[in-house]
Formats: sequence, C-alpha cells, structure tokens
Amino acid sequence: MSRSERLYFIADFNVETLARYVANTTLADAETALAPPGPIMPALAAGPPGPDWSAVVWTRPETTIEAFRRALTCHEIDLDRALDEVRAYAAAIAQFAARARSVFVPIWVSPPFERGLGMLDYRPGIGQAQLLARMNLALADALRNHPSVFVLDAGRWFASAGSRGWSQKLWYATKSPFTSAVIEHAASDIGAALDGIAGRARRLVMLDLDNVLWGGVVGEVGWTGITLGGHDHVGEAFADFQRALKTLAARGVQLALVSRNDEATALEAIDRHPEMQLRRGDFAGWRINWEDKARNIADLLAELNLGSESAVFVDDSAIERARVRSAIPDVLVPEWPEDPARFREALGSLRCFDSPFLTGEDRTRTTMFAAERSRRSGLVAVASVEEWLESLDIRVTVEPLADGNLDRAAQLFNKTNQMNLATRRLSKPELEVWAAAPEHCLLTFRVCDRFGDSGLTGIVGLRFEASEAHLVDFLLSCRVMGRHVEEAMLHVAVAQCRARRASTLRAEFRPTARNNPCLDFFRRSGLRAAAAAVENVFIWNASQPYERPRSVTVLDQTGVATALDP
Amino acid sequence: MMDHDEALRIVYDAIDVVNRQLPASKRLHKSPDTVIVGAGGSLDSLGIVTFVILLEEKVGEAFGTTVQLLDEQMLVEDSPFQSIGALTHYIATRAM
Repeated sequence: MSRSERLYFIADFNVETLARYVANTTLADAETALAPPGPIMPALAAGPPGPDWSAVVWTRPETTIEAFRRALTCHEIDLDRALDEVRAYAAAIAQFAARARSVFVPIWVSPPFERGLGMLDYRPGIGQAQLLARMNLALADALRNHPSVFVLDAGRWFASAGSRGWSQKLWYATKSPFTSAVIEHAASDIGAALDGIAGRARRLVMLDLDNVLWGGVVGEVGWTGITLGGHDHVGEAFADFQRALKTLAARGVQLALVSRNDEATALEAIDRHPEMQLRRGDFAGWRINWEDKARNIADLLAELNLGSESAVFVDDSAIERARVRSAIPDVLVPEWPEDPARFREALGSLRCFDSPFLTGEDRTRTTMFAAERSRRSGLVAVASVEEWLESLDIRVTVEPLADGNLDRAAQLFNKTNQMNLATRRLSKPELEVWAAAPEHCLLTFRVCDRFGDSGLTGIVGLRFEASEAHLVDFLLSCRVMGRHVEEAMLHVAVAQCRARRASTLRAEFRPTARNNPCLDFFRRSGLRAAAAAVENVFIWNASQPYERPRSVTVLDQTGVATALDP
Repeated sequence: MMDHDEALRIVYDAIDVVNRQLPASKRLHKSPDTVIVGAGGSLDSLGIVTFVILLEEKVGEAFGTTVQLLDEQMLVEDSPFQSIGALTHYIATRAM
C-alpha cells in the first residue's frame, strides 16, 4: 500500500538539511529535489518537477513580505499592504498547487531572541508579533479552499526545540537558520502529513487498563480503590489522559481495550467509577481476559476488520510491549513513560493519526462501532445469516460525487484496503477531475440500518468506452462488508451500464497485499471470469440486470426507493 | 578539563543526529578511528558545519560553557577533526 513519495523543496534559505533528513530518515524511500536557489516567486511559477510530486514551500517573512521587512526596521506598519502581499503569495502557492500532488506551507516565525517592541509587540498597528500573526492567519485563510495545500504550524517545532531551534551561527555559515532540532520536528510533521494523505494513518488505539487508564490493579483493589481523578495529582493525570483519548476518538481514531483482567471486574470499574471519562460505549471492542495479549490483539483486529498497520498498542509493561512488537511488528508500540503525568504528552507526541480530512463519519465512528456490536449480538439470536441481514433493514443511498461528500469520498479512496478492486489512491483534486470527465461515472453509497448510520462507505467508479463499461473503482469500507452492500453496488453499477447502453461490464482486479477479500467477493459475485488466460478479470453481460439483494433497499439521493434499472 | 568519556558521549550524540541526515552507506561509525574531515570522510561541507555547530551546542548544554570549534583549524593538516578520537581529545582539553 505504501508508495515512494516525491518531495520538492522551495525555500528562501538552505533547505538541504531538511531534504536530507526526509530522504534518509522520515521517508527512507523518498525521492527529493530542491528548487534552484533564488527568488521564490519564479520557483512557484515554474511548478513542481511533475504532477506526482508533493512540495514544501518554506519561507522567512522578512524576505517574502516587504511590508513586514519594513516593520522590522521600525517603519510604520502598513497592515493592508502586508496582507495584500500575503494574498499574492498565497495565490502563487495555489497556482503551484494545481500542478502538484500536495503542498505544505509552514507558517512564518520570528527568532526567539527577537523581542520586537517588548510589551507593545502585540498591539495592533505597532507590534511586529501582532503583524506576523495577522499575516499567518491571512495566509491560512487565503489557502483554505485549496484542498491539497496544508498550512503547517511551524511554531510548535520551535516551541519543542526551545532556544536551540534557531542558530545565527548556522545562518551565517550555511544560510540555514534552523537547527537540526527544528528540522527533525519539521520532517516528522511532513512525513506524518504524507502518511495521512496516503491513507497510512493509524485508526485504532488499543489500551491496557491497570496503570494506563487508572492507577492500581482493579482486580486487587476493586473499582472503588483505583486511582483516578479526584484531588490527587496522580488521579488527575489518569483522568486527563482519558480526556485526551476521548478527544482523539472525536477525530475518528477508535479506542479498544486489551487487558489482563477479569472482564466483569474491569467493566464494572468502567461503568461505575464516577471519575471515568471513558465509558463502555467509547470502545470499539475489547479483550479483557488472561490470554496472550498478542493473540487478543490479532482477534480484536479481525473483529474490527482492521489491519495491524492500523493499530497502536499502549501498555505500561515493557514485557508486554516487547511481546506485541515481536509477534505483530506492524502494530505501532510506542515506548511508554512510567510517570502518568507524562501520559498525555506521550499520546500527543504520536504523529501517526494525522488525516487530511475530518468528516462527519470520523466524529461518529465510535457510535457506529457500538451499533455494530448490537448488530452482532442480534446475529446470535436469529436462525441464519440471511434472516439476520433481512432483520437489519439495510438501506443504501446512491449519490453522485458532490461538494458535500467529496471529503469523505477522498478519505475512503485513500484508506480502504480490503474491499478495493484497484486501490487507486487519489487526492481530492484528482478525484474531482476524474469524476468530471464525461466518460466517467463516480457514485457514492451511504449505508444505514435499524441500528444506525454507517455513513458514506462505498464508491463505484465506471469508465465507458464504446459499448463496454469498465469498473475502475469498487471499494467498500470494512465496517459494512459482508452485508450484501457489495451486491447492491454491483446492481447499481450494472443499472448504470444499461442506462448508458453499454453491453458489458468489465472488472479487473489489481492485487495488493491487503485486498484479497475483494477478489473473493468477485469470484462468488456471479460475474463470469474472462478467458482463462486473462487472470483476475470478471465480466457481466449488461443485457441482463444484476439482481438487487433482497435484504437491501436502494434509495436515490432524495431518499426514495428506486428501481434504477431501465 | 572535561572527562574523556563525557566528551566522547557528546561527540557520539552529535553523530547520531548527523547520521539521520545521511544515507545508510555514508553514516559515521562510532569509533575513534572514524574520519570526519579529510580523505575517507563521508561528510560534505554542509554536513561538517552542521556537525561542528551541533557539537558546540552540546558542549555548551552539558557544561554551561561555550566553545568555538568552527574555525580554520577544521580544514588544515593535523586538524582535530580528522578523526573522532582526535576530536574527542580536542574537546576534552578545550572545554573548561
């Protein structure tokens, strides 16, 4: 799923150290290139080396914005002129971005030793720090509607490096004012952003309980005896860590529990302790027992339909961490501090959750997983899987790509691994361009049932050539796989073929390390395999409709049940 | 005068940082014989200057003192930067 990144650097200082760090540590297989030394604007106008390159555009404010340079020399501040210059700079970046895959723009910072006008430095019309803040906000505002441009908070890199982030000596000697401490933070954030764009962000945090979510061993002291919240600095630290986890869940990262404990005792603490910030409903799943943690993690990942490269495991025991690292190397197992006061910081410093979007589906993912647990418990009570599926009252709403679903569609393109026919990774702008072509048709599928709304979870992309339709994209979130939504999507795809008078639908499966479930589906889908010599190609004669599964109702975007077939 | 082992630790810390900017084949080995400046060295001019200024910072942090290592001596024959061993000795005797 990973691919080699290509990263182009445009800067008004010597940015080679950053390029080297990115190429040799952050993204070890990345190809990097530097814009020729010289002014920024011509470099932006020249564009990137190619459309599949991402870029970092990093400048110093005094060389980019003339009005700011004048303000630094105690000339009167001309805010309007400064903001006009910022907008012109942003427009040049936006034009550059139209030819790049993605662009990262660190905000402008001042050296920590520059005190400006001291107590007046944040006074509007006078202070240089105030002007710089206004310029950064104007830059972010001017670029907000360019989805492939990301303005990065460089202030955090300098705050983390402290007074050692900036070296005048380095500037005089190498024409780079930023020390390795800042460069490493910058490279890590850029790497995390590229990972997020490529769908490599982690989606699940698996947590131990004792001495991770609370202090003490609940099996020994009972839920009333654990250390959590209250007027106690250690209890405060655990409660604060739980709040940070809850915030992470609101970003779309799922939480789960893997703990050596008696399940009833542990769940009683989660349900009843008044200071618990996380309750049972906040967890997508759990394995609380005395089994091997690596096995429990593997089971839980299978239950949640997630790959091990999606998961982070947090445990206070070095032995458990080593065991999981050894047994499931793709799971990220960070070193974990002993002091609970440092837990929140340890979580916050993980750079593996960055995503280029925050969608409604992200915010409600925990609710969706809770609904899934309810569905599964229903499965036990009914006689057959088919009866169970019919009892779910599954409704699939078909919509074309539009402004309102573009973020989520692009996210799905870049995160879906298992039920994914071609595993094309497209950015938002690339997706928009592709869908707009007259010979293309891109449909999104929202899925809901009586337990809840799973959101936009499926996409079909078709390309029409003469009398043949090609199923270019067929992807479905793992959260709704196996409920006949796949067949409903094929039903809609064939209906589109028939409406556009295509005689056949042709689907070519492109294998990856993770999408075998998709191949399994197409093998049992009823589509016939093409000639034996042509592997992984499936054909449907579109003179015949593809039957809609009985358990699924297909709706149009107005919510009306539709007979899509002409 | 600084303890030799402490000086060596500081040099190795700086090597760790610089190595992260180098391809695997060019990384500096943490050994007294490793060449920093001169024939057989794998750092280019940007790498050398970055390394030396980093060393200055680290010595300053560890001992609350300043040392100036970035000067013409870096590039002359018998430079203290010829090897890690020579550099460690140089730092240990210069940092008071």
